Amino acid sequence: MTDEEFRAEVRGWLEANLGGDFADVVGAGGPGHEHEAHERRMAWERRLGEAGWIGLGWPVEHGGRGLSLVQQVIFHEECARAGAPGRLGHMSEQLVGPTLLAFGTPEQRARLLPGILSGEVLWCQGYSEPGAGSDLAGVRTRAVRRGDQYEITGQKVWTSLAHLADWCFVLARTDPAESRHRGLSYLLVPMDQPGIEIRPITQITGTSEFNEVFFDGAVTAVDNRIGAEGEGWKVAMATLAFERGVATLGQQVGFERELSAVVELARSTGALDDPELRTRVTEAWIGLKVLRYSAIHTMAAAGVPGVEGSISKLQWAVWHRDLGELAVDVAGSGALVTDGPPYELTDAQRLFLYTRSDTIYGGTNEVQRNIIAERLLGLPR
Amino acid sequence: MDDPMRATEQREMRATVAKFLDDNADIRTAMALDPGYDKDLWRRTVDELGLAALLVPERCGGLGMDFGDAAVVIEEFGRRLVPSPSLTTLVACAVLDQCGADDLLARIGEDGLSVSIALADREPTTVDQGRITGSKQHVIHGADVDVLLVVAGDDLYTVDTTSVVRRRRVALDHTRALAEIDLTDVPATLIGPAAVVTDLLHVALAAESAAAAETCLADTVEYLKVRHQFGKPIGSFQALKHRCADLAVLVAGARATAWYAVRAVGTDELASVAPLAKVVCTDALMAVAAESVQLHGGIGFTFEHDAHLYLKRAKANQHLFGTNSLLRGKIGESL
Ligand SMILES: Cc1cc2nc3c(=O)[nH]c(=O)nc-3n(C[C@H](O)[C@H](O)[C@H](O)COP(=O)(O)OP(=O)(O)OC[C@H]3O[C@@H](n4cnc5c(N)ncnc54)[C@H](O)[C@@H]3O)c2cc1C
Repeated sequence: MTDEEFRAEVRGWLEANLGGDFADVVGAGGPGHEHEAHERRMAWERRLGEAGWIGLGWPVEHGGRGLSLVQQVIFHEECARAGAPGRLGHMSEQLVGPTLLAFGTPEQRARLLPGILSGEVLWCQGYSEPGAGSDLAGVRTRAVRRGDQYEITGQKVWTSLAHLADWCFVLARTDPAESRHRGLSYLLVPMDQPGIEIRPITQITGTSEFNEVFFDGAVTAVDNRIGAEGEGWKVAMATLAFERGVATLGQQVGFERELSAVVELARSTGALDDPELRTRVTEAWIGLKVLRYSAIHTMAAAGVPGVEGSISKLQWAVWHRDLGELAVDVAGSGALVTDGPPYELTDAQRLFLYTRSDTIYGGTNEVQRNIIAERLLGLPR
Repeated sequence: MDDPMRATEQREMRATVAKFLDDNADIRTAMALDPGYDKDLWRRTVDELGLAALLVPERCGGLGMDFGDAAVVIEEFGRRLVPSPSLTTLVACAVLDQCGADDLLARIGEDGLSVSIALADREPTTVDQGRITGSKQHVIHGADVDVLLVVAGDDLYTVDTTSVVRRRRVALDHTRALAEIDLTDVPATLIGPAAVVTDLLHVALAAESAAAAETCLADTVEYLKVRHQFGKPIGSFQALKHRCADLAVLVAGARATAWYAVRAVGTDELASVAPLAKVVCTDALMAVAAESVQLHGGIGFTFEHDAHLYLKRAKANQHLFGTNSLLRGKIGESL
């Protein structure tokens, strides 16, 4: 199938489904709406799974479709163009799936991949802790082996979707004698058990999609460890590279939609007649082009994203954050009031506030700059 | 040069207001209250700090202080983001004094009335035979203040608050409630020309924003000293030091600009300095607040931490009483 035939197929399917019984979720779960319509978006995940749209790039023998990078990106682009809802299964499909493919045992893959491919099982990421954010090697959550189980005690924080997830991939310390990057293990932990307590954290948007997760003697089977005991750091870093990689290549189409909405807003408020705002809108448009050309260039090189992942993360996060600020600025003084109680924000206000997190999660801008400086430019630590 | 006596007096006043607010102002509770500010605290600022009488001239029974003194109060409220109609009340008193509205000034001082100023049109506002029709928006604490001043055409009026429809809106900035006000053939009392209203509001926002930027930066720097990652305080990372240094330069410029603008009140220079100060200082606050969220990491994205309150105040101040891009355009034209 050619790329254009593939695009037509995706487009047709999306039209049929988003025009049909999923019309209610068009545009749901976008920036600042990430807390919304969970049940319907889970149903959307299952619909995607049924139709074989999950795991497009995975090898056929593991239930994927073995499609090229370009075709995977086409799928994301068409979803964004059609206003498909924000993906709840992002961490399942783009983070833990590829990690299982790269490091899982045949038994683990056979047991865990089908739930991801069918869109039925939801995963969350248990990396960050109160004392370990940018400095992830500082994790203190302990996992103690007892027979064929690990007992886990500690705290994770900022855990997106923990309140909905069935499983969490947890980075925990299995060897207390070792420090930093050594003695860590990568454990898959079922969320529905007495030893786990989840407390939502309210975000600056007034809504909540991340949580604190407390482990107090929570258990998981030794069979749920990915990679060798004490080798968790390597696995965790690979997952992070996936996070900064393929998943974001197709997102400029969504950005383009957002920018178009901002331009429309600017037209309606008269902001386009304002020379300063006009200049900023123009700059945003140029910036978007640069994002797009960069993504195309990365795809042409078709390597496994490494340091380039950091460049692209920094590039789009800053662009998106600036777009959010431009949105409230073109809204003019209309941005001063919300749509109503309790704190019902306009799309422009949501974009402004939500995009403040783009430069923090998945490795902050500063961490990306360090990675670029040290690994790409070879500057000393 | 400053009068050294006045400088000492103002230092003492600043310390008094600061202590009063540190002891009594609870921002989180106030912003959750219905009016968006703590009316009991307002009452106490009136009784204990004499806030409403501050700019009321002595001939009207007030304390007869000047705008420099008012700026001190505005800065101390502003740097703590205390929700309060104090900024608008002080600006209103300065305007009323210039217009010689002695009766109203005397009442404000004596009864400790809170005042706000309805400036931005929601719908065109017209005056016909002493009656105003139209609609106003973004009126600071407009649904709850005791006295409303309304700008219509080139003039400033006062209207009976019971004869207008006031709607409280949920504002982006939780620490400053905004209201819409509908006026339908409402009897209005002419106070005088409105020319100076916008300028004084700009100066007040400039003073508040510069002070808030200073505090927000100080809080952020403090955090960088105590937060450890990679086995050392994150403030030891050069990337962060450089950014804090850039912000310190920005804040110093904003403080100086606000200071200059406050002293330009009552001079011919005010009209050109006021909008410029508003742009410079609110942009500085926005830059600091945005970096504050970023430099706090995940904590900075939580509702519980105050970083977003500064961010929201910054964005609101950039937009209030003429957006910065609009003002910048005008500054450009005037060159
Ligand atoms: C919306 C959102 C969702 C998230 N979801 C998840 C999730 O699902 N799972 C998960 O595990 N985590 C999640 N996170 C957490 C995220 O990964 C961390 O917030 C991030 O890694 C920063 O860590 P921190 O919050 O501890 O900040 P800190 O590491 O304390 O950083 C504070 C400031 O210091 C700077 N800094 C730190 N070290 C350096 C250095 N060496 N050089 C220069 N500057 C430095 C940072 O850039 C930042 O500006 C989420 C965060 C957000 C905001």
